[in-house]
Amino acid sequence: MPTQAAGQGHRSAYVSSAFADRLFLWLTAGAGWIVFAVLVGTAISMAYGGREAFQTFGWNFIVSSDWDAVNHKFGALIPIYGTLLSSAIALLIAVPISFGIATFLAEVAPPWLRGPIGMAIELLAGIPSIIYGMWGLFIFAPFMAATVEPWLTENLGPWPIIGPLFVGPPLGIGMLTAAIILGIMTIPFISSVMRDVFQAVPPSLRESAFAMGATPWEVVRKVTLPHTRSAVVGAIFLGLGRALGETMAVTFVLGNAHDFSASLLMPGNSIAATIANEFTEADSPIYLSSLIALGFLLFVVTFIVLAIAKIMLSRVERRMG
Amino acid sequence: MSLMLDVSDKVAPQAASGALKIAVRDLDFYYGKSRALNKVSFDIQANSITAIIGPSGCGKSTLLRVLNRMYALYPEQSAQGSVLLDGQDVLAPSYDIGELRARVGMVFQKPTPFNLTIFENIAFGVRHYERLSKTQMAERVEEALTQAALWDEVKDKLKQSALALSGGQQQRLCIARTLAVKPEVILLDEPTSALDPVSTAKIEELILEQSHAFTFVIVTHNLQQAARIANRTAFMLMGDLVEIGDHEQMFVNPQNEHTRAYVTGRFG
Amino acid sequence: MNRSLMRQRRIVNFIALCGATAATLFGLVWLVWILWTTLEKGATSLNLQLFTDMTPPPGTEGGLLNAFFGSAAMIGLAVLIGTPIGILAGTYLAEFGLRSKIGGVIRFVNDILLSAPSIIIGLFIYELVVRQVGHFSGYAGALALAVILLPVVVRTTDESLRLVPNELREAGLSLGLPKWKIISNVVYRAGATGVATGVLLAIARISGETAPLLFTALNNQFWSTDMNAPMANIPVVIFQYAMSPYDHWHALAWAGAFIVTVFVLLLSIVTRVLLKTRK
Repeated sequence: MPTQAAGQGHRSAYVSSAFADRLFLWLTAGAGWIVFAVLVGTAISMAYGGREAFQTFGWNFIVSSDWDAVNHKFGALIPIYGTLLSSAIALLIAVPISFGIATFLAEVAPPWLRGPIGMAIELLAGIPSIIYGMWGLFIFAPFMAATVEPWLTENLGPWPIIGPLFVGPPLGIGMLTAAIILGIMTIPFISSVMRDVFQAVPPSLRESAFAMGATPWEVVRKVTLPHTRSAVVGAIFLGLGRALGETMAVTFVLGNAHDFSASLLMPGNSIAATIANEFTEADSPIYLSSLIALGFLLFVVTFIVLAIAKIMLSRVERRMG
Repeated sequence: MSLMLDVSDKVAPQAASGALKIAVRDLDFYYGKSRALNKVSFDIQANSITAIIGPSGCGKSTLLRVLNRMYALYPEQSAQGSVLLDGQDVLAPSYDIGELRARVGMVFQKPTPFNLTIFENIAFGVRHYERLSKTQMAERVEEALTQAALWDEVKDKLKQSALALSGGQQQRLCIARTLAVKPEVILLDEPTSALDPVSTAKIEELILEQSHAFTFVIVTHNLQQAARIANRTAFMLMGDLVEIGDHEQMFVNPQNEHTRAYVTGRFG
Repeated sequence: MNRSLMRQRRIVNFIALCGATAATLFGLVWLVWILWTTLEKGATSLNLQLFTDMTPPPGTEGGLLNAFFGSAAMIGLAVLIGTPIGILAGTYLAEFGLRSKIGGVIRFVNDILLSAPSIIIGLFIYELVVRQVGHFSGYAGALALAVILLPVVVRTTDESLRLVPNELREAGLSLGLPKWKIISNVVYRAGATGVATGVLLAIARISGETAPLLFTALNNQFWSTDMNAPMANIPVVIFQYAMSPYDHWHALAWAGAFIVTVFVLLLSIVTRVLLKTRK
């Protein structure tokens, strides 16, 4: 059978191709919009689920420290405070350590060591948070109770301003323990971004600094850091975003206390831990609505933090091409 | 001053048949706001081999990629003027771009085999246009590979991955792939610059042999290659078509001083 | 040259780099400590019963079979739901949305979803599904896991396809092939390893997720294959058992933790090997 003349066959092939192309475009774009819809849906559904709490308590919800299941009075102050405090302490630990790791990988480690160490640090991110929680509850909290907390109470407790932060029985579980675990969990997220941007600094910039006689530390301080400033800030915000929403690692060791306490050694609470601990116990609609309202607050805060992180990081991407 | 250029005498470039295949008229090209081609006009005869030469950045690849509207892929690139294929302006929006690409094929500098078997690499394109039986497809694949001077080397391993071939073989596979859909014109953008001399010679030979059936336009920075195989050579400089002519004119007795400077190696 | 200034700078440098090394050791110490205790405590609780018996009531010996099944079923369903959508969305971003505003918006939203707290995803599916239907279910759990898996697949597909050289696409276009054929036959084939790696990474991520399951699938003490009812799963079992006062429940929790950790670590290693061989 003679094959079609090339010209004719081509024309009909093209007509149906245009249609198929459009279909494919719609299919993939539709999938993209599903991603969008999921995020929007999350926001809407939680605003909806929390509406009863917002309507009943109004702005008071955010500033009230009540948490009374019997009398149906709920306020988010303590969970919010706990979330912010634990995340702040976690960052206090994670940021310097991550910076140290990034510096180590960029300036100290020999090339053959960079891969394995980088991979090892990323394994920290791969460990599920519930493992951190279990380890925290059974291994780390007893360790804190037996070793660290008595030391802190004894040596830092008597001090004037920071003293009240370290008083209390050595329970093991509590704000400090939870914040330390949170910090360790956050390290790999911040350090991997820092490491990537440190390595992306143009070699010519670094080399010219070395050629002028700068020490490696000075190169980091004077060349690498200024060049990657936006990304470093972005990485920190990314870590903060993770820390704010972390649930399982802190639920085990935070203690689920609804009283305000100045001491880091005492139990506390966070938004995520409250929701996780009390969801199955919520026996009234207002109780449930309050928990979901808490979730909505967490969503808003996390969204803002992650958006800032993304903006900072994309600024760097554009610059480095 | 006559030039000592090594001209292969294995297969002599055949005289062009004379019919006008492509006519480029007043072609301007823009990357965003900056102009890369200035009112380029020239003719390409059917079943001829036309070479486009010139220093880096002169616009030769840009010109080639206008001929099959490859620039349409990039929104910031635009062309003005006309390119007439058998009398029809292919730059007009009304001209089917799919139709154009079926009639004008392209081979790139870097071999681009698909992650398929050797057989599938060729059959894939054909299948889009024609419904062939198994036997017919096998014949078509063999025909294309033979035209591309690759058949003997791969006839026993058609079901193997194309990625396992050497660079020169991969490039000939890409040529076979292009020939298989039976285009009328074949554009080649520095097809042998990444290859060893043996592969280069094989490809030059197959172009010469196939020029009776196809029209070739080849961009090359290798003057000897242009001298070896082209019926007509066009010299470009900074977006202008400076001179176009046959072997005698371009390499032995150029009319334009820039052309003379370039082919004698004074720059470039 | 000022010798003492030079020496001072060198000392500062030495201290700083020692600090950097110490920080790295700090990070590694925690890693080793956590992994070691998990493996040690989990290994001692490993026995064949884990895979033959169901989760027991307090005071009885038992296993984790129903939890393994539930986790496997929900992860499997999540992959089935989330992977096609994720790959298609990632394709859109890489092939059509590179310079468009819409592509930028979707990429932005996807990255937020990627790092969003998983407890929020759980609440979303709770409101969307559990509240409407009236009960917890394995389907809801799978859906929650799918939502967590989705942005990972989108991102890795986007990045993998963008790595495919443009010449390959141009080669397809120059043959006159339509875009959809080029993407599905040429680009996908070239980027297959990267996309597959992304799916594996996503599976590693959702295997350990607890919070979203708390509000969707909850848990089930007995053997059940009914996905329209609460479903047992490893993470929630670990959570409930670890928080309990019973020793034998603790042991089971450690066994579960061991298996989850080993599973996730294996997947991480496999994906890394795959990525290396691709390069």
